[in-house]
Amino acid sequence: MSDEREPLIRVEHVSFGYTMNDKRTLPVLRDISFEVRRGEYLAIIGHNGSGKSTLAKHLNGLLVPQQGNVWVAGMNTKDKGLRKEIRKCVGMVFQHPDNQIVATIVEDDVAFGLENIGVPADEMRQRVDEALQMVGMFAFRHRPPHHLSGGQKQRIAISGILAMRPACIVLDEATSMLDSYGRQDILRVMRALHQQGMTIVTVTHHMSEVVEADRVIVMEAGRIVMEGTPRDVFQQQERLHELQLDIPDASRISQAVHRVVPAFSGTLIRTDEVVEEVENMHLRTLEVHGG
Amino acid sequence: MASSFELTRNITVGQYLPTGSIIHRLDPRCKLAAFVILILGIAFCGTYGSNVLALILCTALFPLARIPIRYGLSGVKPAIPFILILAILQLLFYGKGFGTGGQTYFHYGFVTITSDSLRLVVVSAMRFVEVIFLSSVLTLSTSTTELTHGMEHLLMPLRKVGFPVHAFALIITIAVRFVPTFALEMEKMMKAQASRGAEFGTGSWWRIVQRTKDMFPIIIPLFNVALKRAEDLILAMEARCYTPTDERTTYKRYHASAKDVFAVVTSLVIVAVLFAIPV
Amino acid sequence: MTDSIILVEDLDHVYMKNTPLEHQALYSVNMTVARGECVAIIGHTGSGKSTLIQHLNGLQRPQKGRVVIDGLDLSQRKLDVRALRRKVGLVFQNPEDQIFEKLVGDDIAYGPLKQGLSIKEVTERAKWAMEVVGLSFADMKDRETFALSGGEKRKVALAGVLALRPEILVLDEPTAGLDPCSRKDLLERIRYLNQSENLTVVFVSHNMEEVAYLAHRVYVMANGRVVCEGTPRHVFGNADILHKYHIGMPETVEILHRLKRKGYAVNPEAYEVQETVQEILSILPAAGR
Repeated sequence: MSDEREPLIRVEHVSFGYTMNDKRTLPVLRDISFEVRRGEYLAIIGHNGSGKSTLAKHLNGLLVPQQGNVWVAGMNTKDKGLRKEIRKCVGMVFQHPDNQIVATIVEDDVAFGLENIGVPADEMRQRVDEALQMVGMFAFRHRPPHHLSGGQKQRIAISGILAMRPACIVLDEATSMLDSYGRQDILRVMRALHQQGMTIVTVTHHMSEVVEADRVIVMEAGRIVMEGTPRDVFQQQERLHELQLDIPDASRISQAVHRVVPAFSGTLIRTDEVVEEVENMHLRTLEVHGG
Repeated sequence: MASSFELTRNITVGQYLPTGSIIHRLDPRCKLAAFVILILGIAFCGTYGSNVLALILCTALFPLARIPIRYGLSGVKPAIPFILILAILQLLFYGKGFGTGGQTYFHYGFVTITSDSLRLVVVSAMRFVEVIFLSSVLTLSTSTTELTHGMEHLLMPLRKVGFPVHAFALIITIAVRFVPTFALEMEKMMKAQASRGAEFGTGSWWRIVQRTKDMFPIIIPLFNVALKRAEDLILAMEARCYTPTDERTTYKRYHASAKDVFAVVTSLVIVAVLFAIPV
Repeated sequence: MTDSIILVEDLDHVYMKNTPLEHQALYSVNMTVARGECVAIIGHTGSGKSTLIQHLNGLQRPQKGRVVIDGLDLSQRKLDVRALRRKVGLVFQNPEDQIFEKLVGDDIAYGPLKQGLSIKEVTERAKWAMEVVGLSFADMKDRETFALSGGEKRKVALAGVLALRPEILVLDEPTAGLDPCSRKDLLERIRYLNQSENLTVVFVSHNMEEVAYLAHRVYVMANGRVVCEGTPRHVFGNADILHKYHIGMPETVEILHRLKRKGYAVNPEAYEVQETVQEILSILPAAGR
């Protein structure tokens, strides 16, 4: 129904505000435009109150723009008749693991979305099993969710989305309540899904997650203020500092070493890159001396 | 030393003991139907004989479900005061109403004890225990999910008269799903406020206003948290295409086998026998 | 240790004892904290750390073993729990959830008022507590609690505990869910309380950067047991333990451990960014400079 080269999600001049009393509105998003390409891994960062969560809720029509339009695979989110189609296409995982699980047994919860879109029972069974296997929670299918850890609950939430076979998953600060182990779990799942072609949008303030993305959008006061690859964005340490955002330690180390030894790359952002660069430096000197 | 804050310990509703017995494996729809039949049967059986039999049968359900009887009895313990008070009240005041039937054993002022009123007292107490045993076996052998599914199926005929069975079942499921969550939340809240010097339930019982006020630091935040959770849940449900009015399919399907039909038939037979016992 | 303000000896704890759902949360745990020290407890959900810290102000009482807080023995039946809770302020995870008064000042004053202090004293304490967490008393005391930002709410909740003027502050995941800016601010406040106000601090955390920044000593917990104890340097230097119990490590430590495994002579205990940079510089080939 839509052109494959067409971006999956197109956000056009979107403005949005929450209505306070006396018709006063509190502007949250101001004239935002960007695209999410098919198969892309996009991170949206910004400190609390920058509007990033509100923006995320526009991507599957949970909120609709007051001005401008959001198009999902060619469908306008303002069209009420298309809402189900849009949400089948763009799934969303939220911050609190506890507050998005509906059922009292894991597999029932995964089936919840499928029941809503009227999938026949036999197909449902198969899709639920598949989705649970994708997040590595198949063995837990008969368990009540309240005995699971936060990371496991979030994997259940993701699998509930996967069962609906969406083109894109939006993670709205989905790791912020998890411990490091749980966070690693989720990142591993997302990485695997991305490799299988899933489009991923993650809203986060963990810089270690941003490193995984193809592209970063930085928000401040309802506007997009920076955009680029994580490598480019993390180069601008001072600008990020002004925006009250951090950079990963690996990036900080890379830049500090680069200042002393210019041959050492200053644009590294991941720990393994730093280790590799040390090795490469040794290899390079060996070549120079050996040859 | 037990902690006074361990709330989850005292919640026995929905406490499920998976022992894999034949009772556990019954189709929840049939189990629930059998349960309703037996409860109704007990409610209308008023003779000594039938209640002795019913009590024996209800007790026999525990070994059949491979649940320790001791555990079942612990469910009766908190009900003993109620049973006693009920018995005393019945003994004191019901005699007159039954004045026409039975022998009079005792008469003083407005208190009359007849054979009929005595039977009522004894039978009521037995019924109480029977109902507790039955409900315990039902909840201990059936997960809440199966219970809600079973209920949904049994209520299905009501759809014809416009009753929103799906929505109703979903509400029950969500309520059940959040019981442990809120128990934990409340426990945490009590601990947190106790850490700030709050005291609960230490005031004298007649100072009801004070005791209610003492609960504010728990009730208000708990209410806020519940609202926040509800908001989140609605968003998450919407994001997964939930619309209350639309037709939904159901994931769980049950196939009643011979043993399930047998269970329902047996309970019907038992009820018939109970009614047939004359004294 | 004679000057230890917290002493935990052979502590066991079993939840839902004598029910079919019985479950042991602590196995023979030992811990000591010296006056003025800042100690971190790290470990996963279910490692027993929450149960342990709830023993520190008497929310849980020892079933087996001993807990002694500044001379108060928690095994004693007639222990004055109120005195204990005045000594030990416990801040739960997401403490902003417990705010119940309409106005900031009232909520912070709740604890001291419960202690039966004079209004003057209560006001003074609330003022001190607010200033020390970085909330201006004059501007904030009459603000409505529901309209605050997440970071501000958490500060209000922290102030509500500090207003009890505890000698020991126990925090469960103090910065979970905060953005980097609020997180940094809060960490600085806690560090100030520990170093300048001489408060003994015990905190639970998943964030290793945070542990590196605050803690003098670290206890690593797993499956209800203390599996490792020592300075952050010592613990971060022990890659085996960190891997075995899936404890995350600061990026700096991760880089150093990887380099070490590849045979480079780096000291994996050098976890501060500047130290790590020095370590890397020390192993780079001289010709590259």
